[in-house]
Amino acid sequence: MRWNLAYRTLFHDRGKLIAGLIGVIFSVVLVNIQGGLFFGLINKASLLVDRSNADIWVGHRGMHNVDFAHPIPERWRYVVAGIEGVHDVEPLRVEFGEMSLPNGSFENVTLVGVGETTNLGRAYSIVDGPADALDRHDAVIVDQCDDDKLKTPRIGELREVNGRRVRVAGKSNGILSFLVTPYVFTNYDSVIDLTGSDPSETSYLLARLKPGVDGVAVCRAIEQRLPDVSAMTADQYASVSINFWMTRTGLGLSFGAATMLGLLVGLVMVGQTLYAMVLDRISEYATLRAIGLSERELLSILTFQSAMVAILGIVIGMGITIFLQMLLSTPRATIEIPFLLYLGCAGLIFAICLFASGLPYLRVRRIDPHTALQS
Amino acid sequence: MTSTHQPSEFATSSVPPVWVDEQQMQNDQRQTTFALQASGIAKSYVIGGQSRPVLDGIDFQLGTGECVFLTGPSGSGKSTLLSILGLLLTPDAGELRLCERRVDGLGEVERTLIRRERIGFVFQRFQLIDGLDATDNVAIPLTLDGMNLAESRQLANELLCRIGLEDHRHALPSSMSPGQCQRVALARAVIRQPELILADEPTAALDSQSGQSVMELLRELTTEFLTSTVVVTHDPRIYHYADRICEMENGRFK
Repeated sequence: MRWNLAYRTLFHDRGKLIAGLIGVIFSVVLVNIQGGLFFGLINKASLLVDRSNADIWVGHRGMHNVDFAHPIPERWRYVVAGIEGVHDVEPLRVEFGEMSLPNGSFENVTLVGVGETTNLGRAYSIVDGPADALDRHDAVIVDQCDDDKLKTPRIGELREVNGRRVRVAGKSNGILSFLVTPYVFTNYDSVIDLTGSDPSETSYLLARLKPGVDGVAVCRAIEQRLPDVSAMTADQYASVSINFWMTRTGLGLSFGAATMLGLLVGLVMVGQTLYAMVLDRISEYATLRAIGLSERELLSILTFQSAMVAILGIVIGMGITIFLQMLLSTPRATIEIPFLLYLGCAGLIFAICLFASGLPYLRVRRIDPHTALQS
Repeated sequence: MTSTHQPSEFATSSVPPVWVDEQQMQNDQRQTTFALQASGIAKSYVIGGQSRPVLDGIDFQLGTGECVFLTGPSGSGKSTLLSILGLLLTPDAGELRLCERRVDGLGEVERTLIRRERIGFVFQRFQLIDGLDATDNVAIPLTLDGMNLAESRQLANELLCRIGLEDHRHALPSSMSPGQCQRVALARAVIRQPELILADEPTAALDSQSGQSVMELLRELTTEFLTSTVVVTHDPRIYHYADRICEMENGRFK
């Protein structure tokens, strides 16, 4: 009956129920969307790594961000290739340059040079233009999402990078840099030409492992053989790249603070609503206490009602979040909500709702059943 | 000295109550079993930093099946006495026995259990739970006792049918008249067949006809279940339902 009582009284006052639900839904949506935007943004910091098709990244010792590479000797690829368990190795160049724009101005770009005969480092997939676009001389691939920055280059259009002619041969979609500089993919050798950098050096060595080989063990072996390099699995380097931006920009703190603010607002709304609901029912609670409901039973009613508000709010909030994600998520502003974020958010907000029920509980504890006679 | 009214007949009489003296009443009561015995009950409230006595050494007995009305002007201590008799308040001094068991020194948990198991309350403003229909309101005491919801609803429905509310079993309090609400509240108070019913101005919010009807029902049910009843009232139109009337003034019986 207690549950029936809790349920029926909760749903009887729909206005208060809706107010409470709005608080929870607001928190759920805010935390998930905020978190999703954060993950969407921060994951761009490791996009090149995530989509590189490589198992191991080898760079200069202390490498900390995929976009900021320090050169290493290109010949070390043969040393890496000689490590047991390594299937193949390709060099990758990541350099900065300037692309000319039709209006006479320039846009800074991040040039990514990939080998011609391998898919290692080819983080893009072409959505406009021929699949073998990079096989053409001076070809570059740009991303559709950078059209605004690059003034909408057309397929076949000529541009200049660092004063040398290039031809836009294809377009990818959704390969965006965490930096403001667009990624421009081209041949490995073309990058050397465009940047005039030392051909004996490269930014990274990307290795693919044989099936079943322990990547961490191979990394240790590489670092033993080449003390001046860092070797990381793709997952490790993705984390390192993400952490770079998280820790050096205070991004995590900013998003975390905003998310906590959302939680706090939700907490206040839920707590206040539950409190208002209790205040409206003080007379009923006093009556129940008078006719024999114990304080503990009353608390269980309150907790049950909070849990109901929480569960309903979380379910509706999740639905709205998924809808908003489908509606608003774009490659430029990706809303990427991992399952763990949904789970953590639900658990956290559920706990907060129960905590929020403590506010009305403090009032309920002071209910004197004698007041039922004075109503 | 306690003054009491003694109506010549209970429940149906319209003859004015007869005044009897305390000694005679006590002699009569010794021959009965007491549902409730209170002696030397005192209670003070602190108002504006000063202690103000509300009850001043009240002695009170209630026989099994007896219906006693507490009357008197506002502030005379009727409701406070009712609260103490119903274990809603603890007295500052005095002794209280419910069915021979001393209950004045019990803790909150025990008092709650006794209220649940042995006392039924009828309130002036009905105090029904807004979100529950009539059936569920009546079923509350049974379910508090651990009876499952279906069974307690069945018993509640039977009682509601008996008191003429079969068409209102699924009605919410907001859709019933005050008289109907008070009948539901009455059903809630008696459904567990408690030893004691305490009613605080049960007809104050009702018109004359509804008030009479509710009191008739109260007497009918309490007589059937042999329940002792204490009614606080200002309403002289229902005095004839009392077995005995105790008038209070300044925290004492007159």
